[in-house]
Amino acid sequence: MRTSKTNKKTSNPESGVDSRYKSIDEKLSDGKRLMEARLKRLKGLSRDQIIKAKLIQLKLKMEEYVKQPVYKNHDFFTSFLSDYIDTIYEKRIMFAKDINITPVSLSQILNNHREPKKEFMFRLMLHSELTYKNICTFEKKTWYQVYYHEKLCDTMANQDKWKPAEKKYVKIKNAVLK
Amino acid sequence: MYITDVKSGKRHDIVISPIEPEDFKFITKKEYFFNWKLEKDYEICKLRIIDQSEILGLVSFESIPDEWRIHIRLLSVSNQNKGKNKEYERVVGNLLTYLSKIAIREYGELACVSLKPKGAIAQHYIDKYGMNITGATLSIELMEILDLIKKYDK
Repeated sequence: MRTSKTNKKTSNPESGVDSRYKSIDEKLSDGKRLMEARLKRLKGLSRDQIIKAKLIQLKLKMEEYVKQPVYKNHDFFTSFLSDYIDTIYEKRIMFAKDINITPVSLSQILNNHREPKKEFMFRLMLHSELTYKNICTFEKKTWYQVYYHEKLCDTMANQDKWKPAEKKYVKIKNAVLK
Repeated sequence: MYITDVKSGKRHDIVISPIEPEDFKFITKKEYFFNWKLEKDYEICKLRIIDQSEILGLVSFESIPDEWRIHIRLLSVSNQNKGKNKEYERVVGNLLTYLSKIAIREYGELACVSLKPKGAIAQHYIDKYGMNITGATLSIELMEILDLIKKYDK
């Protein structure tokens, strides 16, 4: 390995690293070699490690989702919930059993035929706390944040649908505020 | 995520975020070892203590989605945080963990963060962060990422 002038200046390893590729060819050949090695290492991953990766990925996606308004016609809460259940359980019925609700209720929530009840949210919060305990930090409020963030975004994005019907019921009698 | 004051042992919560254009006024080669203005076309993130503006660490990187990886281009702590007399511990570990979290969010179990240090400093990264060696490239993959997250993401 060649030592550059910059590296001599920053010879302490935690001070600075210049890791830039000198050319596209170098980037491509290094990438190809690295990919071959990585694919071999990936074969050695256990099922537990893959589940942990998927759970961390899900948590990070939820945290990212609540950071900004998302106006998409997509059911984020139930989509994240399905991913959560399917990552941990082979059958969804097993999750229903673990949080003591009926498989029908769970199915209705996942298919957006029923809003989750307060008790469901509490149990999901407790379940996630246990799941993530030995993997990474998991904010208790995450599921609530996702749920209400979706409601808020939907409400703001669909004003043209609900506003005309509701507007006629709202008036201000106080003259000062007119 | 937090860093530790080496002298007092006190923990300080930190935030890592993309740099702002005005930050370039303070990101000098003398303080951060490289000409960071050359990295303007890439993503650059800074580490600072919450409620403080001083930048304690910097990293520039590029995402390579076709290879499910993030490649570190430049990584640096501030001058006061280098060597034996550094003020804070865990600056580099937190920056590596931050990139690992982006990689795992985007690529799940296929996530990889790579760097190609020049000179003899590679061994330090292998020893301290358990990096894999492929030719001259070092990488953090799922097993190392899980360890980093457990150690630093709290």
